[in-house]
Amino acid sequence: MRAARRTLLALTLVIALAVVPLAGCSSTDGGESTDNGTDEAKEPYRIGAVLSMTGTYAGLGEPEKNALEMEVARINEDGGVNGHPIEIIYEDDATDADTAVAATSRLIDKEGVLAIIGATGTGGTMAMRGEINRAGIPQISPAGGTVITGDFDPLVFQTPWSNSLVVPYTLDYIAEQGISKIGIIADSGGFGADGLAVLEANLADAGLEAVATEAFNAGDTDMSAQLTKIQGAGAEAVVMWTAGKEASIIATNMKDLGMTIPLYGSHGNARVEFIEGAGAAAEGFRFAAGKILIPEAYGDTTEAYQVALDFIDRYSAEYGKAPDTFAGHAYDALHITVNAMSTLDEDFTAAELRDAIEATTGFVGIGGTFTYGADDHNGMTADDLVMYEVKDGTWVLAE
Amino acid sequence: MSGRSLNISRFLTVRAAIVAVLLLVVAVLPLFVTGTDARYVLKVLTFVGINVLIVTGLALLFGYAGQVSLGHAAFYGLGAYASAYVTATLGMPWFVGLAAAIAVTALGGLALAVPSLRLRGHYLAMATLGFGEIMRIVFVEASSITGGPDGFSGIPLPSLGSFVFATPQSIYWLVWGVAALAIMISYNIVSGRPGRSMRALHGSELGAMASGVDLVGLKVRVFVISAVFAGVAGSLYAATVGFVSPSTFTFHFSVVLVAMAVLGGTRSLAGPAAAAILLTLVSFPDIVLPGLSRDILAVVQDWEVDIYALVIILVVLFLPEGIAGAGRRVLGLLRRGVVEPSGSDSGTGQRGDEA
Repeated sequence: MRAARRTLLALTLVIALAVVPLAGCSSTDGGESTDNGTDEAKEPYRIGAVLSMTGTYAGLGEPEKNALEMEVARINEDGGVNGHPIEIIYEDDATDADTAVAATSRLIDKEGVLAIIGATGTGGTMAMRGEINRAGIPQISPAGGTVITGDFDPLVFQTPWSNSLVVPYTLDYIAEQGISKIGIIADSGGFGADGLAVLEANLADAGLEAVATEAFNAGDTDMSAQLTKIQGAGAEAVVMWTAGKEASIIATNMKDLGMTIPLYGSHGNARVEFIEGAGAAAEGFRFAAGKILIPEAYGDTTEAYQVALDFIDRYSAEYGKAPDTFAGHAYDALHITVNAMSTLDEDFTAAELRDAIEATTGFVGIGGTFTYGADDHNGMTADDLVMYEVKDGTWVLAE
Repeated sequence: MSGRSLNISRFLTVRAAIVAVLLLVVAVLPLFVTGTDARYVLKVLTFVGINVLIVTGLALLFGYAGQVSLGHAAFYGLGAYASAYVTATLGMPWFVGLAAAIAVTALGGLALAVPSLRLRGHYLAMATLGFGEIMRIVFVEASSITGGPDGFSGIPLPSLGSFVFATPQSIYWLVWGVAALAIMISYNIVSGRPGRSMRALHGSELGAMASGVDLVGLKVRVFVISAVFAGVAGSLYAATVGFVSPSTFTFHFSVVLVAMAVLGGTRSLAGPAAAAILLTLVSFPDIVLPGLSRDILAVVQDWEVDIYALVIILVVLFLPEGIAGAGRRVLGLLRRGVVEPSGSDSGTGQRGDEA
């Protein structure tokens, strides 16, 4: 009897484990059961969003998702596009290229999205390309690597200023400070590797020399060894290229090592977490980015200033803090897509949507004023950039 | 007495019939997946097949020979990168990539078999764990071959001659065909002399040696076969997805594989295969329950690792023999049911547990 009871217990366990998958195996061909759409509302236009809600870019993914949620709610309150509401399906790529590919595949094959916003990072954005090409739908990336639009793909667009704009701007600024020898530290993947390549290509033009070039991996917790080498090589400034949370570790390591040479960064560091993470070590840190952080930089009579103020007001009211540049990149990506949709017939195809996005002209967004073209899917200029400095725990415009 | 042999042969016939039915179900399943999300469903079922293939290799190593590997994700990765490099970078046909994957993982298995000759239990587990971690770092750092942390993209689809496995159905059949072949090979191994040697090794290494089992040869062979199965799976994975990055081949995945093997049970091939199917589908609950809301989906995905851990704990506590053990008990009960009404030999049913 005891043996039988144990068998029963074991069986129950197996069945409990088996029941979940088996329950649905027969209904896998059930297809899409879309959310209970009311009779008068039209089928929503579905957009996929692959964002880094966890991992080293979590600090970027969060404001991006915030901006998308807020703007979609507003667009739908205003009646959607051509009477169709917009529905965004979010996927977390955990700052991992492989997860981004799986998420994209799911969005395309399972959710049937018309376009994809993402990924948050350059590595994820590039990894998704195979799936994007297979499905033939447009991708609008909020990541800043040059490779995204430099390695041109007709389906792929980008909203931030790419490294090929930011790097020369930054290097020229550094050279103007009377510096000639720099040490570079960049993360080994995605945005950092992309930035390093652009840095090396532009050093000579700016009249600078890299006396040390060091790399680190996402997830590393101490960069003292690399910084010591940079210091030993006689660098007069450190140029750091990463969008990860490791940036604040680098600033802290420099302070701990007693390094007094200035630290320069990229538009990937325009996040409050950097200042919070590095504390006093963040003081004096300089980086180039868009104007949303200090909207007066737009010029207070411009349309861009009004758009930015409106966005800042609504975002601050909703989330209790000011939006950063990443929220702006997502805002731009969504509005460019939605504007393109509104120029089309109700039953547009993915190819028509792509063409309409490419036809974007003079869209005044947060990152700047976008004009895409047949061979320009970045649409920004260096005029959209400004140099910031961290002072007393906040951003100010650098001279 | 002749009644007993009759029952055993009937039992074997029943088993063959079950296997045939299962094969048929797996083979025709794609024909019934026709919804708008068919492509996604088939892709997930293909991943299930890939995991079944790896876990079959692990069943030989862990379930039969009793050797723990916490580094199997590394073989999977080695196979994936070897195949990706040969097909995408060198532009060779897919079967050359597959051959490269087999060669590289066989070498890897050999490399891991050497310490296993001296190490046992926890120490072997630590050595394989170290091997897995070293390989993960290699995948990240050897960026000129592997693409580094950004991964390796643009891997062509599997092909044989001029035939390209381009549709999700054809890839599904390819992967499950290979998995079935691997199970068949494994069955032949375990039902013969090597299988008995492996079970002896599982029971007592010293005892096996005393009984004349060639431990060195056995361990090396089983490690190599197990590694090659994972390498073939890696080659299939790389060609199916078209993209690989180091984050797929982490310690986490090795643990998931061990969880499948543990849940599946020892001295069985069917158990681990069933466990691989069940646990792979945990990651894709929306395949199983199509109406599932996205919020629940997100919760399940967040707790995925915890679900695996819970499975291991529950299995070790209540079902130490895994699915296979439970299956054997059920079969034993059934056979007793078959034997008792007609048979005078009541002892026969009890012995079924050892089959």
